[in-house]
Amino acid sequence: MKGIVFNVLEEVVVANHGEATWDDLLDAAGSNGVYTSLGSYADDQMTRLVKAASDALGLTATDVLRWFGRQAIPRFAERYPVFFTSYTSTRPFVQALNTIIHPEVRKLYTGAHCPHFDFQETDDGALLIGYKSPRKLCALAHGFIEGTADHYHEHVEVEHLKCMDQGDERCLMRMALH
Amino acid sequence: MSTAIEPCDPVEFARLKRRLERERAARLEVEAISEKGLRELYMREQELRLLQDIATSANLSQSVGDVFQFALTRICDFMAWPIGHVFLVEEHDGSVHLRSMALWHTQDPQKIAPFRAMTEARDLAPGEGLPGKVYLTGSAAWVADVVADATFPRKNAADESGIQAACAFPILVGQQTVAVVEFYTDHIVERDEAFMQLVPQVATHLGRAIERQRAEDRLIHDASHDPLTGLPNRALFLDRLNQSIAHMGRNAGSQFAVLFIDLDRFKIVNDSLGHLAGDNLIIQVSDRLKGALRHGEAAVGLTIDMPSSSTLARLGGDEFTILLTDIDDPSDAVRVAKRVEEALNLPFAIDGQEVYTSASIGIASSASGYETADAILRDADLAMYRAKALGKARCELFDQKMHQEAMKRLALETDLRRALQNDEFVLHYQPIVALNTNEIVGFEALVRWQKPDGELVFPGDFIEIMEETGLIVFLGRWVLEEACRTAQALQGQFPRDEPLSISVNVSPRQFAQPDLITQIRAVIAETGIDPRCLRLEITESVTIGDHERVAAVLTELKELGIRLSIDDFGTGYSSLSYLHSLPLDVLKIDRSFIAAMNQSPESFQIVQTIMSLARNLGMDVIAEGAEVLGQVEQLQSMGCGFGQGYYFSKPIDLVGLRSLLMRSILPTDGQDGSQTGHERQHGLLDGLATLKAG
Repeated sequence: MKGIVFNVLEEVVVANHGEATWDDLLDAAGSNGVYTSLGSYADDQMTRLVKAASDALGLTATDVLRWFGRQAIPRFAERYPVFFTSYTSTRPFVQALNTIIHPEVRKLYTGAHCPHFDFQETDDGALLIGYKSPRKLCALAHGFIEGTADHYHEHVEVEHLKCMDQGDERCLMRMALH
Repeated sequence: MSTAIEPCDPVEFARLKRRLERERAARLEVEAISEKGLRELYMREQELRLLQDIATSANLSQSVGDVFQFALTRICDFMAWPIGHVFLVEEHDGSVHLRSMALWHTQDPQKIAPFRAMTEARDLAPGEGLPGKVYLTGSAAWVADVVADATFPRKNAADESGIQAACAFPILVGQQTVAVVEFYTDHIVERDEAFMQLVPQVATHLGRAIERQRAEDRLIHDASHDPLTGLPNRALFLDRLNQSIAHMGRNAGSQFAVLFIDLDRFKIVNDSLGHLAGDNLIIQVSDRLKGALRHGEAAVGLTIDMPSSSTLARLGGDEFTILLTDIDDPSDAVRVAKRVEEALNLPFAIDGQEVYTSASIGIASSASGYETADAILRDADLAMYRAKALGKARCELFDQKMHQEAMKRLALETDLRRALQNDEFVLHYQPIVALNTNEIVGFEALVRWQKPDGELVFPGDFIEIMEETGLIVFLGRWVLEEACRTAQALQGQFPRDEPLSISVNVSPRQFAQPDLITQIRAVIAETGIDPRCLRLEITESVTIGDHERVAAVLTELKELGIRLSIDDFGTGYSSLSYLHSLPLDVLKIDRSFIAAMNQSPESFQIVQTIMSLARNLGMDVIAEGAEVLGQVEQLQSMGCGFGQGYYFSKPIDLVGLRSLLMRSILPTDGQDGSQTGHERQHGLLDGLATLKAG
């Protein structure tokens, strides 16, 4: 996983719970806490940090990821404004993930393993988002979507129709904007 | 330095915290700088790869279409834009427009269907829409949101297809924009300067691909077209003809025909007005033929669902061919031939002169069943020759008889070549007699072909083909040598105050040889003949053409001492005054005038006129074809100097000639009467004796 995700996680944790909490999380996760956006780090470091946060905050891992995702978006928007100014709402932004945003991410961080999403529009105007990744971070994706909706001042409802955490082969989220 | 944890000094703590924050800020800056550098490096790499890929494709692809298709996909991939498309700049009748090449890259064809349909349905004028603007300015352009751009003509279709940002750039060959490439995506994108800076390099590669294709096209076109008229040449015509033959093989119903067109009198135009005028005529004729075909096809009356098509080609010189395909009947071809004849009826204006020409046309139709293009072209050519032989300005359909005749001709040609090699030619000699003294003053050498089986063939049956094939040059040289040798020998045997002259015919082809004078000098040197005894006979047709050369050659011959006769006078079209401008000595009145002389007062008058004109011009006159006493007497009464004909002697071989000369120098004594009776069956002695008696 790219160092930037750890950096943003640190920022989010520090901003909401103070620097000491981040130190505690690092200790609990057995991490030395040396993360730079230029580096890549083992996925299980994130898993352990999430686990530590879930223990410390009394939240499920899913909720931690979702919270982190939502909180992370404003910071990404600050660092990489061009990704966000090209769109005026959540839906085209989400739909551009595979074709525009992730290719851009790869330009910044060569070798980044970005997930692939598939999209399908439903009759009632919702968007079905398919996700399949060994990292099983659908909750993080859920949080990112909510953060993006916040960014564009929209209200979004995300429903997990299928989830790899529930033993499904892939995750399927239903995104409805209001 | 203490190792234990001390209670923190607040000032020290604050300083440490600031220090930590500085470190963090420094780290973030390093990261930012590195990221920027990495990103730029990545972009540079991608740009280079894009240029390299497009350059490779431009160099290796088979067609411009392939190059553009690849470039569209590759650029869309690079920009992560879903739509790319090419407009070609086309020029018709001086007006320029941009036409969709119908070449697209698209990820979702269904989604952009409305936009595509509208783009392909309508050409854009220069200045119209994004591609039009790019064409006018010759530089790349970017529109962040076409839906918000009122000047974008395809705005509605773009909106319907979910298109927003656009960019387009020109492809230039030299200074000229030859194509415009446009790209679209489904969201608003601000102008990408890095990409815009890359565009000229991409465009250069694509321009080169077009340039190369154009050069190739031009080479192929030049190799298959006649440079003078721009018409297909022989190679392309044969190619089309082969296609028709193959097509007919598959579709038994369809017929085609070949028209072989040869201009009449073209050589005269070329020779008298020069090659530039000839070229000019060829160009004008080709334009008229094109016009005739447009009308011709209408004349054939073929309907739209059964279109006839034609290929007009120039094979070379004054030869044109037309391939008519999808015709119902050979009569369709005849109708087109009539159109061609009509199209050439009006005179052509060449260098301010009116020039008339007509065409002899041969037609061969696929109905005869052909397997090769050469065969049908050959037969159309044969039919054309027949049309020429039958009086020109007409058309003839090929039939098998023509083929047989052509085969006969070909066999004759072969025989004649062999005859030359095997010395099968012999000379006969016909005396020329002074009409006032009845004395033989010289001979005309006449060639005969003595075939191995003994048959004697007269020139009428072979000279024309020898002239056509050029064999006449070899025969002529031999005749001249042989005649001079004979004359030289006879002069020794029969010395006279005025030595016997020898007349030798020079054919047009022989006369046209650049080394004619050299050849004649050589013959004179080899045979030792006194050039003053040699008379070269040329026909009027020899004198038509390059007047300056004709006059120069004749003058040079005169300077050698040779005398020059104009043969068959009255059958050509040259005027006596024109002939007078040439250094001619002798005029031979054609036999047809002599034959008609005693049949009508007009003919008599004509001969008399020719003779008085010749006299005024200081030329000697020989009457050809003097056959009976009455004619000889008439000629004598008119003061005609010399005669030649059966009345005196038919052409005889050398043995006969010797005995004739022998007799003519014998003293006129008592034996004369009995000899006359004895030799009565011989026309010559008969004639001479009669004259002497009279």
